[in-house]
Amino acid sequence: MSHARKTWKFTLLAAVSAAAFGVTAASAQQFSCPRKGGTLVFAQEAKVNSLDQYTSSTISTRNVAMNMYEALMTRDENMNPIPELAEKVTASEDGMTYTFNLRRGVKFHNGKTMTTEDVVASFDRYKKVGIDRGILDVVDKWEAPDAHTFIIRMKVAQPTFLENFSSFSVPIVITPKENTDAPPMQMKPIGTGPFEFVEFVADSHVRIKRFDGYVPNPAYKDIDGFGGYKVACLDQVVFRIVTEPGARVAGLETGEFHGAEDVPAKSQAALKANPNIVLKPLQNFWVQIATPNLSFPPTDNLKVRQAIQAALDMEEIMEAATDGAYRLNIGFQYPGQAFYTEAGKETYNQKNIAKAKKLLQDGGYKGEKLILLTNKDYTNMYTAALVMSEQLKAIGMNVELLVMDWPASVQKQQNTTDGWNFFFTGYGTNTSLGGIAALRFHAPPFNTYKPKKEDGPDKEFVEHFNAIANGKTLDERKAAFAKAQARVLDQVLALPFGSLTKVQVVRSNVENFRPFRIPRMSNVWIKG
Amino acid sequence: MTAAVDAPGLPAVAKTGLFKRWPILRRLLRHKAFVIGAVLFGFILLVALFADWIAPIDPNRISIRNRFKPPDLTHWLGTDNLGRSQLSRVAYGARLSLAIGFAVVVLNAVFGVILGAAAGYFRRLDNILMRITDALMAFPAVLLAIGIAAALGPSSMTAAIALSAVYIPRTARIVRASVLVVREMEFVQAAIAMGASHLRILGKHVLPNCLAPLIVQLTFIFAYAVLSEAVLSFLGLGAAPPTPTWGNIIAEGRQYIREAAWITVIPGMALAATVLGLNLLGDGLRDVLDPRLKISQA
Amino acid sequence: MGRYVVARLIQSIPVLILVSVISFGIMKLVPGDPAVLIGGPTATPAELDNIRQNLGLDQPFHVQMGRFYAGLARGDLGRSLLLGKPVLEATIERIPVSLSIALYSMVLTLFLGISCGVIAALKRNSWADQAAMAFALIGVSLPNFWLGLMLIILFSVHLGWLPTGGYVPWQNDPVGWFRTATMPAVTLALLQVGLLARITRSTMLEVLRQDYIRTARAKGLPEFLVIAKHAFKNVMIPVITVIGVIFSVLLSGSVVVESVFSVPGIGSLLGSAVLRRDYPMIQGGLLFVATALLMLNLLVDVLYAYFDPRVRYDSRS
Repeated sequence: MSHARKTWKFTLLAAVSAAAFGVTAASAQQFSCPRKGGTLVFAQEAKVNSLDQYTSSTISTRNVAMNMYEALMTRDENMNPIPELAEKVTASEDGMTYTFNLRRGVKFHNGKTMTTEDVVASFDRYKKVGIDRGILDVVDKWEAPDAHTFIIRMKVAQPTFLENFSSFSVPIVITPKENTDAPPMQMKPIGTGPFEFVEFVADSHVRIKRFDGYVPNPAYKDIDGFGGYKVACLDQVVFRIVTEPGARVAGLETGEFHGAEDVPAKSQAALKANPNIVLKPLQNFWVQIATPNLSFPPTDNLKVRQAIQAALDMEEIMEAATDGAYRLNIGFQYPGQAFYTEAGKETYNQKNIAKAKKLLQDGGYKGEKLILLTNKDYTNMYTAALVMSEQLKAIGMNVELLVMDWPASVQKQQNTTDGWNFFFTGYGTNTSLGGIAALRFHAPPFNTYKPKKEDGPDKEFVEHFNAIANGKTLDERKAAFAKAQARVLDQVLALPFGSLTKVQVVRSNVENFRPFRIPRMSNVWIKG
Repeated sequence: MTAAVDAPGLPAVAKTGLFKRWPILRRLLRHKAFVIGAVLFGFILLVALFADWIAPIDPNRISIRNRFKPPDLTHWLGTDNLGRSQLSRVAYGARLSLAIGFAVVVLNAVFGVILGAAAGYFRRLDNILMRITDALMAFPAVLLAIGIAAALGPSSMTAAIALSAVYIPRTARIVRASVLVVREMEFVQAAIAMGASHLRILGKHVLPNCLAPLIVQLTFIFAYAVLSEAVLSFLGLGAAPPTPTWGNIIAEGRQYIREAAWITVIPGMALAATVLGLNLLGDGLRDVLDPRLKISQA
Repeated sequence: MGRYVVARLIQSIPVLILVSVISFGIMKLVPGDPAVLIGGPTATPAELDNIRQNLGLDQPFHVQMGRFYAGLARGDLGRSLLLGKPVLEATIERIPVSLSIALYSMVLTLFLGISCGVIAALKRNSWADQAAMAFALIGVSLPNFWLGLMLIILFSVHLGWLPTGGYVPWQNDPVGWFRTATMPAVTLALLQVGLLARITRSTMLEVLRQDYIRTARAKGLPEFLVIAKHAFKNVMIPVITVIGVIFSVLLSGSVVVESVFSVPGIGSLLGSAVLRRDYPMIQGGLLFVATALLMLNLLVDVLYAYFDPRVRYDSRS
């Protein structure tokens, strides 16, 4: 059997979307800072728990940590997998071996030069404590024949392996070998990134500074997604935890902060009019969604679910939930993504009260209580539930809100099939990672729609879902995704409301800040 | 938060013969602070009682078209981020705040008296009961309330229970202190000597004489309970939304505080007025009922 | 006195045990766990299980509880689940923050409270009395989280005088400290001023009626000397009580104020520990704070005896 090899270029998912953002390829020269120096203060809402990127998957951790860490592969501006610390990634024809040639001369913040010894130790730690360690379940072993070659051998071939492997959800970041013994949540943030750690005062701030020994990736000309050619122009960056939304806005206006995230949409008009401030909206940050409970009446009844789906006015829900920072969006991918499809369009945003009432009648709905399980920590989830409840009252349903805090509501959703009908959440990271990740919650073993034990998971959906993972070509996988999405919407196994826009804001003296899933501090400078 | 009333070392001495009602009422009505307090609190009470008449529409009725309307002739107190009537929400908020405050007062009266009297009268129970109250009081008050409210899940019932757990030990201590004093008085000792039953002595002689400090304490507890309930609902641990409470209206409005300040300002003022009213009432009652602490008419 | 202190210390042991049992009880009841917070909204159940395993949350509750007490016996308060550092270290780090704001607030409280109280007592029933008492009472009645928001709007948004929040350690930058600590300190002080002012006023009134004051006056001593010498010494007694109460409130009860102003103090540490289900942090942090409060109360009682010769603790009547 011939093991002909094939070198993976940057686009593993699709060549289609490669040209969507022209930022990177445009300039012939590599990026260099027009001006160096200064401290940028960035205000974020969410508290940072730990900077141990292996053991935390919250946005707040990633926001800071991914300015310090790098991985063998990551995602570009369009979420396609690209090599980062690897110079070249080669997959064997049978998909059973992946060979990573490391970039030479990459330094850690502690001064050490990265070798495969560190990569092996980092993978060992990830396998042990990494939150997303399930990614490595299909891997048989990894080995390092020399200081610059790292090989992964698979148990079974998985066409989407590099897609999972390059995920930024809980990225497999590389840290020096001697750092990898740290227990979960306690690892010192030593990476290879353009910024190094200075201090972390919980509930207050994290300070990072330029890493002078940083070696940018010569394969690129400019920053590209999480990877690319990165340079730290700023001396220091301070991520300040500011929980009051009004305080974040006020701080931006007074110049106390150079940038901020999660600025209330209502304040944006005033900020837009301010010449010192520039809004950087990041569209399609997450899909606002509610998932049903098929084990508890009345949502065990397909007709009732379809009635609810028919009644909803998505514009009203999204407008209220986001104060206008949204786009209507069908399903679980966004336009521009490889897997985007309008399959199931007819089920979305119907606003058809007559049809809804008819379906309720056909389904034999007798005024049973419909309980919407939501939380107050994410205002948009709460508001979506509130508006949805009003819309359902209008078709004669008996709706009740069950509002808990986020951890309690998740526990109820996961551990019980009693006392709730819809659970409100947002699909962020997973939708941005592509087709298979976007629907993984609905597939076994998770089955968020809580199918009845005796029925088991929806067979037709599972069949399409498996076809997404196992499809040999991208087109096959896309076709399977479209069918899977259509099935989810047709059976109302989820109610995606629309896509939410995250708004990052900077002062106008902050140059070259481009909105992204994390606030990227590389290649950003402050005008003198 | 908790402060004020339970300053140790000031065991209030009750005087006998205080309860020939009318003279007290007359003195209360001459007490300026009491009257102002009564007017303030009475106003809020009326709003709470007649919330359904005052509220122009259902406080939870969403109207996306009417979002962020500042106060004007059609929307007296403006509308919030979902176009709900602030007047309706603040009025219903008054009802809930006062209801929870009142529930806490009742629970305090019942359990505070039972525990305090038991501790003060039956000396064998004293040590155990006082250690338990010590333990509850060793918790920072707000944290204890947050913990209990989080454990029981957000609802108005939970808020009342959590706040009672915070204040009952303090009430019990006040009652105990008074019982200790009254117990030693001659007429009580005489009743004991005559072989009257414990319950009878407690009910007939001891407790009526502890009433003055208790009433004063309960008035202040009402004020603290209303304030602390707002803190809990501000943190999302009070009555479950969308039920309007002053605390959760403020919490929801804080996002819009720059553009739609009325959402936050008005319930805060209502809250302050209620607490101020109750504090003034408490001052008046204390001056009149509890001569040991009589201040203003000196 | 010595025996009294020892007795009080011994008494506090069962109290602290009760405190820890109660906090375990509460934690057992609180639904949800910290894994969900570490995982974020899009973590899969499998990822959440991985997190639980990392944190030892997959262990049965009694095992976790046993582990805590075993650690406590060795003087170890455990390790915060979310902060990745020992509870004791996390708590001690916050002390200077809360303490410096508490002291600042205490200075404001003492100044405003005593001056309002003294003025009110000396000018009894005048407009000054009424104004001082009204100010004091309104301060007590304002909800502190709301007051905090209003101050931010006024001083940060409209006037731009002070930063919206945060904290700068005074050793790094005294001016920065002053700018960040002022609004939280004022918010906390306004709540306490009323209490102190009222107690000062009533004590002053009572003291001024006493015989020895009349005697002193009769001897022709200047009024301010009379007040300074006699009245103030007596006023110290309730003032100490109030300081004790205020300090305990400031150190622990400032949960909401610290969170409104993004101050990384003990209040916000413990408040967010409860909301984030950081069990060891709640457990150890509460025990720490409860111990501190008990010691503070003891100190207040001792000072009491010192200032008021009538108070004797040794003989139990």
